[in-house]
Amino acid sequence: MSFLLQAIVKDLSRWRLDVSGILVWISIPFLIGGLMTFIMSDGAAKPRGTLLIADQDESLLSSLVAGVYSRGQLSEILAVEQTTADKGRKSMDDGEASGLLIIPDGFSDAFFDEEAMSLTLVTNPAQTILPGIIRDVTELLLDAGFYAQELFRDEIRTIRESRTTDSNNAELAAALALAIQQKIDTATPYLIPPAMEIRIVEPPSDRPVVPMALLYLPGIILMAVMFSANGLAADYWVEREQGTLRRTVLAPARLYGFVAAKALAAGIVIAIVGGLTLVAGFLYHGIGWERLLPSLLWIAVSGIALFSWFSVLQMIGSTRRAANLITSMLLFPLLMAGGSFFPLDALPGWIAAIGRATPNGFIADHLAAEITGATAWTFASQSWLLLIALAGSGLLLSSWRMQSGFARG
Amino acid sequence: MLIVSNLTKQYGDNLAVDGVSFEANKGSVFGLLGPNGAGKSTTINCISGLLVPTSGTVTVGGLEVTREPKAAKQLLGVVPQELAIYEDLPAIDNLKFWGKAYGLRGEALKARVAEVIETIGLADRAKDLPKTFSGGMKRRLNFGCGVVHKPPVILLDEPTAGVDPQSRKKLFDLVEEERAAGACILYTTHYMEEAEYLCDSLAIIDHGKLIAQGTVAGLRSQLGARDVLQLNGKFPQQAGREATGKLVRAGLKDIEILGSDEHSLTLTLSDGSEHLSEIFEALSAAGGKVTETNLRRPNLETLFLLLTGKELRE
Repeated sequence: MSFLLQAIVKDLSRWRLDVSGILVWISIPFLIGGLMTFIMSDGAAKPRGTLLIADQDESLLSSLVAGVYSRGQLSEILAVEQTTADKGRKSMDDGEASGLLIIPDGFSDAFFDEEAMSLTLVTNPAQTILPGIIRDVTELLLDAGFYAQELFRDEIRTIRESRTTDSNNAELAAALALAIQQKIDTATPYLIPPAMEIRIVEPPSDRPVVPMALLYLPGIILMAVMFSANGLAADYWVEREQGTLRRTVLAPARLYGFVAAKALAAGIVIAIVGGLTLVAGFLYHGIGWERLLPSLLWIAVSGIALFSWFSVLQMIGSTRRAANLITSMLLFPLLMAGGSFFPLDALPGWIAAIGRATPNGFIADHLAAEITGATAWTFASQSWLLLIALAGSGLLLSSWRMQSGFARG
Repeated sequence: MLIVSNLTKQYGDNLAVDGVSFEANKGSVFGLLGPNGAGKSTTINCISGLLVPTSGTVTVGGLEVTREPKAAKQLLGVVPQELAIYEDLPAIDNLKFWGKAYGLRGEALKARVAEVIETIGLADRAKDLPKTFSGGMKRRLNFGCGVVHKPPVILLDEPTAGVDPQSRKKLFDLVEEERAAGACILYTTHYMEEAEYLCDSLAIIDHGKLIAQGTVAGLRSQLGARDVLQLNGKFPQQAGREATGKLVRAGLKDIEILGSDEHSLTLTLSDGSEHLSEIFEALSAAGGKVTETNLRRPNLETLFLLLTGKELRE
């Protein structure tokens, strides 16, 4: 067994005793990831609000309009309550509802007479989603009213005239219903499905549309990798305090071999931590297993690169506490920018571009492409080379720093 | 085997080691004695290659440490003052790892590790973690890690610091075994009795400079048969000088003042115990008052006092 191999075995044997550290590195991302996934999944709570309707017209038509808001999927997010205009305004002032719709007296007559009439919609400025939905539905209703007036012009005229004559209402209603049904039957083939052809002229995206929860997975894995890399790099301080770094510098064995062995041992631990997170993510999201090996390799090599640079940062600190402060000050902003808390694909373009320029953002972005892409093994050779260069430069700096005084203490 | 020639190490204005030269031979223990901060560890660090000397040379087995560091390091075994072992790695794996670091492989490594673990008396705890060991056991493992590759030159930097008497004795045995096996050992300590017990030759260092060097017997002879009398109490200015002048005139020719201040007076003289009453009388007449008396037979500790005017452990 060579010195390199012996040094790897040595570190793995020592780190094996620190199971609690490994559990923490895994559990924090799992906790945050689980929370994010739950929020993004179907089982999450949907926003729910109240729409107050002051129906001053109290006609058949106004009650039809009011009823639209409590139908279908709208009923899942909106509770419709009848009120008066005054009470409704007071409730809105108190911020108790998402919106107030006032249907004025004479609304029905104005509709049939094709006269102008204003509906009043007051929305809660403290909310964004629900008032937006109420506004959109109300605008749709107004459009529908216009098209109904156009489509059923004759029937509306008949209704309007019947209000002034003493005709047989039952016969009239039957005749109107028949006429309306015929028109609906005639229009239906054109409307359902719409009689139009949609041709997409823009090229399709390289990546298929992926669920939001899946977009979190690479960032969560990188969080575990970053925590592990930073935690393992702190071992240089443990060795320094034990005096073993000093003894290493005194030995004829190459220092580069020593730091390389430590990085490779770290790579193995990170592969285990990242691998467990990956497998959990693959199982949860049903990702194809052919992507597991390339993803695992990518994580292991990335882990070595990140470990080597965290080692440099650890050795910059004049004390252990200072070193931890330096790495913590970098770790959390990097996690934030690199997509561990918000997926890069969900961020505005310029912020995502900054995130992709961070080491962990770069790694997470490529991992996301592998996990969500059309095929496996999507990592380009340049990306591998970049990671290897990053790892190599970090290791060179680490061995230089050890030699230049860190090991002496 | 180990030649240190005009070694100097300077940190800014501070001259930690100032032109130190000595030679240590195969199969012998060379002691480097001095109080804390005298420059012993800096000298060792320059010899081991941990520090680059400002000037001077260190040659180990004919190899200059600064020019051929890797080959020179191979010949050196270092047992540092502070423990340098993996507390979270079994004792035997510590020895294996450091053996590998010094190039031992295969059967040679296995045999040497087995031999060392036996020698340091940890065979029955070989698979235990050092963090469960006593301080003395850790010291022995620290020693074992330094000699596992059977180096011809061993640097022991205060190996018994903070060690209980039983473990100290065991460490002495280990040093003697290595000497008997032909190793050249450089042993630094500030315990004179250790140096007297172990060393074949030694050098005394203070403020970075060697102030005496030779065999233990040769250095002892510098003292002659004179005792060292240390008196504590109150001694007005010139009281000591006045009293010793009076004693010399009275026939006590070889009495000398080694050091004096308002509260202490250190004298050297032959057959001190026989002249105590005369000395007290003379001091009392000169206005001095003795509250505590300490008469020591000549040894290396008194030599250090003679050379520097201060205690070794001050």
